[in-house]
Amino acid sequence: MDTNSFDAIVVGSGMSGGWAAKELTEKGLKTLVLDRGRMVKHGEYPTATKDPWDLPYGNRITQDIRRRKPIQTRTGYPTPANEHWFVDDIEHPYVEDENKFDWLRGYHVGGRSLMWARQSYRLSPMDLEANAKEGVGIPWPVTYDEIAPWYDKAEIFAGIAGSKEGLPQLPDGHYLPPHDLNCVEQDFKKVLADKLGRKLIIGRCANLTAPLTHNESPQRGTCQARNMCIRGCPYGGYFSSVSATLPSAERTGNMTLLPNQIVYELIYDEKKGRATGVRVIDAETRKQTDYFAKIVFMCASALGSAYILMNSKSSRFPNGFGNDSGELGHNIMDHNKPGNSTASVDGYLDAAYTGRRPNGFYIPRYRNVGKDKRDYLRGFGYQGRAQRANWSRFNDSALIGDELKKAMKEAGPWSLGMSAFAEILPYHDNRAWLDAEKKDKFGLPMLVVNAVVRENERKMEKDMVNDAAEMLEAAGYKNVVVKSDSFNVGNSIHEMGTARMGADPKKSVLNKFNQVHACKNVFVTDGSFMVSSACQNPSLSYMAFTARAADHAVSELKKGNL
Amino acid sequence: MIQRREILRRAAWLLGGAVSAPAALAILQGCSAKESVPAAMAPALKFLKADQFAVIAEIAEIMLPKTDTSGAKDAGVPAFIDVVLDAVYDPESKDRFNAGYAEFETAAKAGGKPFLEQEPAARAAFVKTSLETALAGDRNPRPFILMTRELALLGYFTSQPGITQNMTYEAVPTVYHGCVPISQMKMPVYWE
Repeated sequence: MDTNSFDAIVVGSGMSGGWAAKELTEKGLKTLVLDRGRMVKHGEYPTATKDPWDLPYGNRITQDIRRRKPIQTRTGYPTPANEHWFVDDIEHPYVEDENKFDWLRGYHVGGRSLMWARQSYRLSPMDLEANAKEGVGIPWPVTYDEIAPWYDKAEIFAGIAGSKEGLPQLPDGHYLPPHDLNCVEQDFKKVLADKLGRKLIIGRCANLTAPLTHNESPQRGTCQARNMCIRGCPYGGYFSSVSATLPSAERTGNMTLLPNQIVYELIYDEKKGRATGVRVIDAETRKQTDYFAKIVFMCASALGSAYILMNSKSSRFPNGFGNDSGELGHNIMDHNKPGNSTASVDGYLDAAYTGRRPNGFYIPRYRNVGKDKRDYLRGFGYQGRAQRANWSRFNDSALIGDELKKAMKEAGPWSLGMSAFAEILPYHDNRAWLDAEKKDKFGLPMLVVNAVVRENERKMEKDMVNDAAEMLEAAGYKNVVVKSDSFNVGNSIHEMGTARMGADPKKSVLNKFNQVHACKNVFVTDGSFMVSSACQNPSLSYMAFTARAADHAVSELKKGNL
Repeated sequence: MIQRREILRRAAWLLGGAVSAPAALAILQGCSAKESVPAAMAPALKFLKADQFAVIAEIAEIMLPKTDTSGAKDAGVPAFIDVVLDAVYDPESKDRFNAGYAEFETAAKAGGKPFLEQEPAARAAFVKTSLETALAGDRNPRPFILMTRELALLGYFTSQPGITQNMTYEAVPTVYHGCVPISQMKMPVYWE
């Protein structure tokens, strides 16, 4: 075997790539994992142990960082404690067409699995059946029963803290002990149940509230309740590729992990009708290399993988790799999150919490569930938390001197805030394409993105704000403020759908095992495959579908089908 | 090194005996990073003029005086304000700050003496009145005195003395309890 040849290539090392690497190497495949960004190894998290006074500028973003990262910083996500995980927009440009599109990216080994908010929910039978029932987009080719065992596997390995609730719209899984709701949230839960018949549960999150139930990740310890996860956790307290899947892959001895490798094209052999490998440009040296393998797993994110497929043209695939359907790059979805709602909570002055919970509460979808019928399709869930105010409540106060010093030693009042995350339907016109005229510094064509929320989402927004106000008022809270502003698609960082799966090759890019219909040894297992967005955070689904696809790939390889 | 070993020992205890190599590395990095920062620095001013700096320092100290806990000056707030104005604020906000500062000085002088030459009680009263006036008016964009206050509070509550003397902050809390009596907290003020 020459040094550039492997059994499998995995493009990308984030949420999906880490899982592909683990599963393929554990099944004995010599696997090359390529990431376009720098190396990150577990423990190499530069800000993870900094105290607040060690961070510059009171942890506020500087003008210098804003100039380098205008898109990343306009979302408000980066701070000096974590901005090193967010890309330099000047160096890695894309084109926004008619509408702004927030493309939040982490170009480094581990990708956005280091930066994620760790909320981990299953898609439900209702979600997987909705497209077929309502004639939206195309039907999911996978049933809940088919994917459920892979959710089991993902949850057990990753370690998800949560509670079993018996909700048909949010299937239960395997959970470590749930975080507590705080005193205010417990009462809010009662109010919603008693007065409105709605359920409030603790978020299901990939933080280890107890030791894992397996021995496969000795490098991981339990969550220390620091709530600094986004910096990277030296304890391995939350799931990331860097803390969990890549170390497993490494231990097999079957993984070769190369950073700074920008995959820009799949190599297609017209005679064999198979992909034979990938073309790579080194981000630092600009050296071009071809790597070869029997199978390729595309895990470069929904837009990243779609980009590479669109940029892989041949006489067989003049419109992009595997794009016989014309759906490649189309049907971009995210979760519509146009605002947030807050209220102040009187009382509870003797109630406190200790530690910093890396999680909040979740109000699972109730619209268009059971007998509820609305004038729009699908629904939304709320994520939020109640907390006591910190010192920033004195920003707009005239207290000075001894009076202020005394007041600021008292615990602040309680408030409760929450945001709705709503399903966005798949629209063919929400799409990304390549602009051959515009090139980045590597000479590669730039990605153009255009996606916007439409009528169904707009109708739903009314319920999202009215329901929030109704719930906060039902609890007797004061100063209820509900906001619903415009939403840039991408801002929920759940972009998906660019190479959807389906039974019909004329309408989809991938089959039910995430294989490119027209080229069976290429698998796409990041958010690209999603056929509908549901309203749940999607990462757990990427893990489950990736593990399932890897299992299928190895079994097909053994049968000689690939 | 004894201190580092002690930290590692504590970490081992927190992790139930096993400190993973990465955890140990991270702790050591955090430790050495802290040690490399000199305890006291008097950097050249980045944004404020010397006379402005003196006034801003005084305003911050009036808002957050030294009591049983550190005051703004002891916590390094004036230098913090200078650095943050320089690096974090956009040109428009900087202009607004400068214009607001000039108005503040002029208004103080209208009472007879420049701000810094007034008696302490008069200065405090003037700051208080300025705050009350600003809070009663349009707060968007933020007027000078509220910008200064925001910066003073931010600087104080991201400083080591400001945090450790006034609130419950533990680098490694180890455990979260959602609903406990506030009497369980030594200092019932939250960092987060």
